[in-house]
Amino acid sequence: MQAFQQNLSKLEAADTQVLGVSMDSPFSNKAWAQQIGVTFPLLSDWGGDITREYGLYNPAYKAARRVNYVIDKNGKVIEMQLDSDAIDPTKVVVACQAQKLGR
Amino acid sequence: MKKFLVALLLAGSLLPASYAVSKPSDTPPPKIKVGDMAPDFTLQDQNGNKVSLHDFRGKKNVALAFYIFAFTGG
Repeated sequence: MQAFQQNLSKLEAADTQVLGVSMDSPFSNKAWAQQIGVTFPLLSDWGGDITREYGLYNPAYKAARRVNYVIDKNGKVIEMQLDSDAIDPTKVVVACQAQKLGR
Repeated sequence: MKKFLVALLLAGSLLPASYAVSKPSDTPPPKIKVGDMAPDFTLQDQNGNKVSLHDFRGKKNVALAFYIFAFTGG
């Protein structure tokens, strides 16, 4: 999430809202957001219903996989990165900037 | 008793590899992929606010970043 925070101004300039999601509690997320200086919402999927609906539940960790999506203004998924490919948000930034340019 | 211990050891050595930690390659592909409509949700953020995906419909793109655990890197 730190990497998203570092790219937040670029993403906001590209008309993009950043949302983090995990199966942590809101209390953990609050403490963590304060510790690392995250200012965008960290959403609590306590119980994992949304994580399962997206097909991202990893039973080995009893948690979500690391996955980035870009969802356009019509609600359609236009970009996805999985696992280790989802650590660097550069592709997310590029996809959002391209969207802004109407490509 | 000795025979029993030997049998126990043998059984242990023959445990199937499926007991090993599952690799990412074993996990099924995500249900939601490029081209799909993203399922709506309403979840609570770290400040107690409810945030829904549909809040941004027609207004903003959404970068939705699933992470494994709080207090981990990335």
